Amino acid sequence: MPDLSPIYALISMIPLDCLQMRFMQQALLGVLLLAPMASVLGVEVINFRMAFFSDAIGHSAFAGVALGLILAVPPRLAMPLFGILVGLGIMAVRRKSDLSSDTVIGIVFSAVVAFGLAVVSRAEGVGRDMQRFLYGDILTITDGEIGFLALLFVALLVFQAVGYNRLMCIALNPVMARVHGVRVALWQYAFAGLLALVVMFSVWAVGVLLVTAMLIVPAATARNFARSAGGMFWWALLVGTTSAFAGLTLSAQEWLATASGATIILVACCWFAVSLFVAGATGRRRS
Amino acid sequence: MANNSLLAPSVCFENVCLSRGGNLILNNICATAPAGGSTVLVGPNGAGKTTLLLCLIGEMAYTGRIQFAGLEHQPRMAYVPQHLIMDRSLPLRVCEFLALSRQRQPLWLGLRPWARSEGRQLLQMVKAEHLEQSRMGDLSGGELRRVLLAAALGRNPELLVLDEPAAGVDVRGERLFWELLDAARHERGFTQIMVSHNLPLVAHYATHVICLNKTVCATGAPRATLTSSTLMELFGVPIHLYPDQCDPEDPGCPQCGVVSEAEGLLPNYAAIERREAARMNARLASRMAASPCEPCSEKAPDQGGSRA
Repeated sequence: MPDLSPIYALISMIPLDCLQMRFMQQALLGVLLLAPMASVLGVEVINFRMAFFSDAIGHSAFAGVALGLILAVPPRLAMPLFGILVGLGIMAVRRKSDLSSDTVIGIVFSAVVAFGLAVVSRAEGVGRDMQRFLYGDILTITDGEIGFLALLFVALLVFQAVGYNRLMCIALNPVMARVHGVRVALWQYAFAGLLALVVMFSVWAVGVLLVTAMLIVPAATARNFARSAGGMFWWALLVGTTSAFAGLTLSAQEWLATASGATIILVACCWFAVSLFVAGATGRRRS
Repeated sequence: MANNSLLAPSVCFENVCLSRGGNLILNNICATAPAGGSTVLVGPNGAGKTTLLLCLIGEMAYTGRIQFAGLEHQPRMAYVPQHLIMDRSLPLRVCEFLALSRQRQPLWLGLRPWARSEGRQLLQMVKAEHLEQSRMGDLSGGELRRVLLAAALGRNPELLVLDEPAAGVDVRGERLFWELLDAARHERGFTQIMVSHNLPLVAHYATHVICLNKTVCATGAPRATLTSSTLMELFGVPIHLYPDQCDPEDPGCPQCGVVSEAEGLLPNYAAIERREAARMNARLASRMAASPCEPCSEKAPDQGGSRA
């Protein structure tokens, strides 16, 4: 396990009382790794109109926990594995079936939620997991999980460097992308797998109720601020990261004392409100 | 910006069949798209035109063979779709769109100077250089189609496939699109296969036509193929593109068709006016016949003369 104490020392230099505690330093490092990943993937989620897809993956988290209980696999391993499986499954059905994608996702969504509830209704002592699933639990993140997030961060950075143009091309017209030399199936599956992993970690951070917001709100805000497709990437990164930092530190203030996940999303929504004014002004200038 | 005229393939469809859910969509298609030519697939909706294109570009599984004669490798293809799947809020600029499939560096690290300059040249080819910094979502239908054409030409294709590329564009925009496409094909010499419903423009610009209605009804040069009998078989309505080829007589068509042979594309307004005058006269004559007491009833104009 890498020694993260120099990073924690660096965080403790931020002049905020709440950041002097180790669990807060871990939580901050966790969200600062997770938020940029979710924000950048959110750009593609919006391009592909896949908001409902990420919601379905998020809801499969609880079914993953339930499956872990049955197979005696630790929940923190069962959840991401099951999420990837569901993500790839939805993508496969979506590619092969004539059904519209929201119908396919709706069916999988219902199946995974029903499965999770069925298992929970029989099992004892999963109340804490249920709470974690609904509201998120970033404050209990461990160094091992932060290490995994850092690896995922690097993988996603490489993926975005190689695939950003290709994914944009696929979103605009998959047939055109294929004829123009993009390996559409490969990129779609890779995207679904990575998205599933990031969504599962985001469920830990903000809970299933807000997981889609973590992807969508920064990316939608970026669309309003940005003047180019390249700029959209950087705006999403900025909005996601600043929301995560501000949300986490605000939630730890005594005068506020709110759930950290919900506060992060609220800050992002404030960004979005500001972006609406900017988009309105820009739109008036263009028209 | 190379000329591929010596490299362009001819495309041979050999016994291509495709059925879906028990329905035969393509039935034993045998046709050829000549090298360096402009081949247009013509036929009613549901005739299998787009399906045949999708087979050609490898999007759909079929039986039979599609061969590219004159090339030892698979031809470098480009595709111009009918539309893009995007909404107006996407801040994708035209110059970025043109760099998407040519520049490896992600757009978030900026446009490379060569990509920017090549994009500008492509836009000049389609008379859209003023759109370089525009958002894709702000383009009109005609502008968008020209930008899509520019993106396809950017691949320097040996085979260009277009699926109703100017559908929904106004008359002027569609005419401009065909003109630009024709000029690009002559300059670069690629083989072109497209689907179109605009028969006058097909008659004017195509070098080869394949009439399709699940099976090949006719194939060949436009003038030999787009006869009124073939078009009647395809569409079930009388259409006369060439006045001297009106096989079945159409009583509503003075001189067999309202499309002037000289103009090629413009309606023969003189013929239309003569026809309308004849109808008016016929109505007048019938009114006069119904009231014989009026003094001029015997001077009703001659109907046959008005058609002359």
